[in-house]
Amino acid sequence: MSERQVASIDEEIEPAPTGFLRRYVFSHDHKVIGRQFLFLGLGFLAVGGLMAMLIRWQLARPGAPVPVVGKLLFGPSGGVISPVAYTALFTMHGTIMIFFAVTPILIGGFGNFCLPLLIGARDMAFPRLNMASFWTMFAATAVLTASFFVPLGPPEAGWTAYATLSTAIGAPGPGQTLWVVAIYLNGASSVMGAVNYITTVLRLRAPGMTYTRMPLTVWGFFLTSILNALFVPVLAAAMVLLLFDRLLGTQFFIAGSTPGAGGDPILYQHLFWLFGHPEVYILILPAWGIVGDLLSFFARKPAFGYRVTVGALCGVVLLSTVVYGHHMFTTGMSPLLGESFMLLTMIISVPTALIVLSWLGTLWRGAIRFPTPMLFCLGLVFTFGVGGLTGLYLADITADLYLHDTYFVVGHFHLIMAAALLMSLFAATYFWFPKMFGRMMSEGLGKLHFWLTFVPLNLVFFGMLAIGYEGMERRLYDPSVFDFLKPLLPLNRAISHAAYLLGAAQLVFVLNFFWSLARGPRAAANPWQVGTLEWSVASPPPHHNFDRIPIVVRGPHELGHPAARPLGRDWLSQTELVDETPPAAAPSPETA
Amino acid sequence: MHLVLPRDASLDGHLVDGAIGYLTLTTGVVFALALAFLLAALLFHRARAGRTWGQHTHGNRTRDRVLMFTVALVMFVAIDVTLALRATRDLEGRFWRYPDADPAALRVEVTARQWAWTFRTAGPDGRFGTPDDVVTLNELDVPVGRPVYLKLRSRDVVHSLYLPSFRIKIDAIPGMTTRAWFQATEKGRSEIGCAQHCGVNHYKMRGLLVARDGADYRDWLARAETDSRLRYDPAGPTAIGGWDWETGQ
Repeated sequence: MSERQVASIDEEIEPAPTGFLRRYVFSHDHKVIGRQFLFLGLGFLAVGGLMAMLIRWQLARPGAPVPVVGKLLFGPSGGVISPVAYTALFTMHGTIMIFFAVTPILIGGFGNFCLPLLIGARDMAFPRLNMASFWTMFAATAVLTASFFVPLGPPEAGWTAYATLSTAIGAPGPGQTLWVVAIYLNGASSVMGAVNYITTVLRLRAPGMTYTRMPLTVWGFFLTSILNALFVPVLAAAMVLLLFDRLLGTQFFIAGSTPGAGGDPILYQHLFWLFGHPEVYILILPAWGIVGDLLSFFARKPAFGYRVTVGALCGVVLLSTVVYGHHMFTTGMSPLLGESFMLLTMIISVPTALIVLSWLGTLWRGAIRFPTPMLFCLGLVFTFGVGGLTGLYLADITADLYLHDTYFVVGHFHLIMAAALLMSLFAATYFWFPKMFGRMMSEGLGKLHFWLTFVPLNLVFFGMLAIGYEGMERRLYDPSVFDFLKPLLPLNRAISHAAYLLGAAQLVFVLNFFWSLARGPRAAANPWQVGTLEWSVASPPPHHNFDRIPIVVRGPHELGHPAARPLGRDWLSQTELVDETPPAAAPSPETA
Repeated sequence: MHLVLPRDASLDGHLVDGAIGYLTLTTGVVFALALAFLLAALLFHRARAGRTWGQHTHGNRTRDRVLMFTVALVMFVAIDVTLALRATRDLEGRFWRYPDADPAALRVEVTARQWAWTFRTAGPDGRFGTPDDVVTLNELDVPVGRPVYLKLRSRDVVHSLYLPSFRIKIDAIPGMTTRAWFQATEKGRSEIGCAQHCGVNHYKMRGLLVARDGADYRDWLARAETDSRLRYDPAGPTAIGGWDWETGQ
């Protein structure tokens, strides 16, 4: 890029707003919006987590009154979780965790905060759209919260809301209608974010920030945004049709027992999973990106096979669009279709294996350090490994005949959607907290938090794999109704105890987060000693991020670089001009 | 902690168990190898006195790439391709080869609703929807050693017939007819569950499958036919349902 173009970008410094509302509430600043998303998501993560505790209580002690909060939450039933309340709990747990906790934290929070800083931009391409994205999400949370307080109770059709259970046939109350509206608004927020992220990456990369010099984190958010922009509208379409069925008397998804009359409930499943399977990758791609970068940073070694990794990420994005049918193997789909979906699903294991191999290759021959963010990254490598491999059981139609809709599925997707994603967002929090808030988090509390999270987390989700292997179906209020599930009660109880421990351990994180926010030691500009652009500016960065738009000269992972040795450190920043030529050769004019 | 699949009482269930066993073996080996590599890296290549610098390699050499792709492809062939071939063979050869032409197969129409299963066999006249149909609620009695051919419909929401001891799971969907078949190899009782969330009382949608051998099944059938004839009420709930097996009308 020429000097003239750089200069024109430099002129666009927006002065920092001074009024309270413009600075903290209706801010256009991606760093403020990122923090807004982060706090919103963490709040809902706590709510969704508490719901999980209640679900585990019921499965450990079916029909026993909930201690402490039982009378308050379930007063009419004497503190006991009723079947209605239980159904609402698992519906809202899934909905909140996927749409209102992980999505805002990972994509809204860290996506917003990191993307412009990591590519050397002053802000998102569309700052006002960014603000609208947050406030649309906020509206969605308001509508979702309202669904708890309407006649006939909160939504009860599960987070997948299959028709016809989610139509007036199975859910006549307004709670389900509000759920549909909340998901639609949530989707609108995601699409606003997605077009913004895509445009930002395409148009606002600093000079020299070629696609192969972008940190893997940026690749993760970029590819996620492409999937969001393409597939969230499919979910939105399903929601609109469902809303019509509920309110206007249409029959897109409604049918009776006689074939050929009425609509098609399977159409809903096609639309839902056409979005729903890419959604898994929408959430995991940023996590993969973050882990790819952080493993390199803390192994003090460049990311192994960067180009192969980027290719594999793109391959996963392409394949993720053609595998959704594996969620529907039991619907009696045509054999050819079923076998095609099975094979396509299995092909995803090739790029996924390449990504995991690149992580292992990054660690090998590193000088690995173990600060808290690294521990969580390694935790992700472990949980994602198990989660990914158990996915093969469900891709195989024969095994799926037995395992479909059992707790094996619940264990599998929690290992990815809960365990691996939690690991990544904790890693991201510990890693970028200094840049976000200008203070360091406590390492001691962080490591305690890791071990108290990692061990019970695996006990919980391995336990779920085990009870699913023994045949327990999902979403049962009281499994002991079935004789063959009665022997599983002790195991269910053990899972619940591990889950309580997991829940309680998060208090360490809450304590660390707020204590560090107020009292943590001031963070230096580059506490982790790495070379990506966000660490070249102050912690926290100024309103306009960069005084001068940086000019990027190399990739994001130059650690252990021989040319850095004379500088007394083992890393080179992405903007640093140093003599990289071997001593024998004459220096080129640019680096001289 | 014991970790066992429910007792397999079916002719083809071992194919499912075999696939699961193969998966556990192969993914277990892959996981163990990866974990060993990971732990070795963490142990031997951790930063310490004498190891403060990581190796400066981007892993972009041809031999790095060949290595990565080789490992990924070996895994793909050993696990995925093998399983896919095996699954295709089992599905097309057994699970999806419905006993349409088998006169010995017991044909059962299953109607699911919130929250119960209705099972209907044709009775002596061989036609469904007639007064001699044998209709049972939440209990399916089948003969040992004969294929049982199920066709399913739902009257309200999506349900899923789940026979853990027969390794069978098939959805019952409003507006569609789905099908499945199995064959019991031993007499005894086992449970029928609903695998798909179907509303508040999903957990109560339990049925019983009773596999009876030769004479026992004939005795039961005679009693059930008499019962059904006596209880038949043209205006009652058992008269609802029952469609033509072949045309679906």
